[in-house]
Amino acid sequence: MGKTALVVDDSPTMRQMVAFTLTKAGFKVVEAEHGKDAVNKASAGPKMDIVVTDLNMPEMDGISLIKELRKMAAFKFTPILMLTTESAIEKKQAGKEAGATGWIVKPFNPEVMLKIIAKVLPA
Amino acid sequence: MRDTRGLGRHTTAGSEASEFIVLKAHQQAWETFAACAVSMIPVLKKQMEAVTQQTQRAATDLMTHISALTLADETSRSTETAAHLSQIVMTMQFQDITQQKLEHVAQALDQWDKHLQALLKGPQDENAKQEIAALQRLEQSYTMEEERRLHATALAPDYQEPVPIETEQTEEDLNSVTLF
Repeated sequence: MGKTALVVDDSPTMRQMVAFTLTKAGFKVVEAEHGKDAVNKASAGPKMDIVVTDLNMPEMDGISLIKELRKMAAFKFTPILMLTTESAIEKKQAGKEAGATGWIVKPFNPEVMLKIIAKVLPA
Repeated sequence: MRDTRGLGRHTTAGSEASEFIVLKAHQQAWETFAACAVSMIPVLKKQMEAVTQQTQRAATDLMTHISALTLADETSRSTETAAHLSQIVMTMQFQDITQQKLEHVAQALDQWDKHLQALLKGPQDENAKQEIAALQRLEQSYTMEEERRLHATALAPDYQEPVPIETEQTEEDLNSVTLF
């Protein structure tokens, strides 16, 4: 059975790019516009195997989203990748402390993203 | 009867002095704004120039990869197609990046607007003081290293890029990936 990815970004273009990359690699993709939307979809939707989220979003940002997801039993060990234009060390540290698995700075290279996902997904 | 002839003159002189203080404060507030605005103009201009250059580069790159896709022969098609598609996806992200940069320029212009509105109300107004302070925090709205670098370059033309330290780079470093 194919794996499911939750893609969270307020930019429709970015969601489209990530969804295109993941769908081509065999993932089923669920899209969310911001953190709150993602929390709702994570609570109601299918089991997610991986989460790829932006940092700066309206309603709820990426760091708060990770903290919320980590409180949920189903997301305790789910790999969560932050995908953002932000590369400041202190932001990355905040992401790590919130429970992010990795940090990818935009623009992302699809081949590299898929390699990273393969690395962090449990076998 | 008390002589009050001099009192009027004192009162007039007193109110003239306090009026002068208010005018002086108002003038200082406008001068602060002007100095801040003058320093911000090249910063905003540079950020917008960067957006223009980025869109131009993206358009050229997209055309290169699309042309290569149409020219790829049968034998090399699958691997080359995958590589060109990856580059196209990477290049297409210019939209998100340039949008963010322009949003930050717009935020600065909004702040100018608020600042000017506050100045028109008078510099002693509490909100005015806050708006005046906010314009000087434009840098905090940036999310990209490139924006911070351009900001520093525009404010100090003799700014020099830090010399990078040569270290062994992995694929992850080269592609801005950090695994925790």
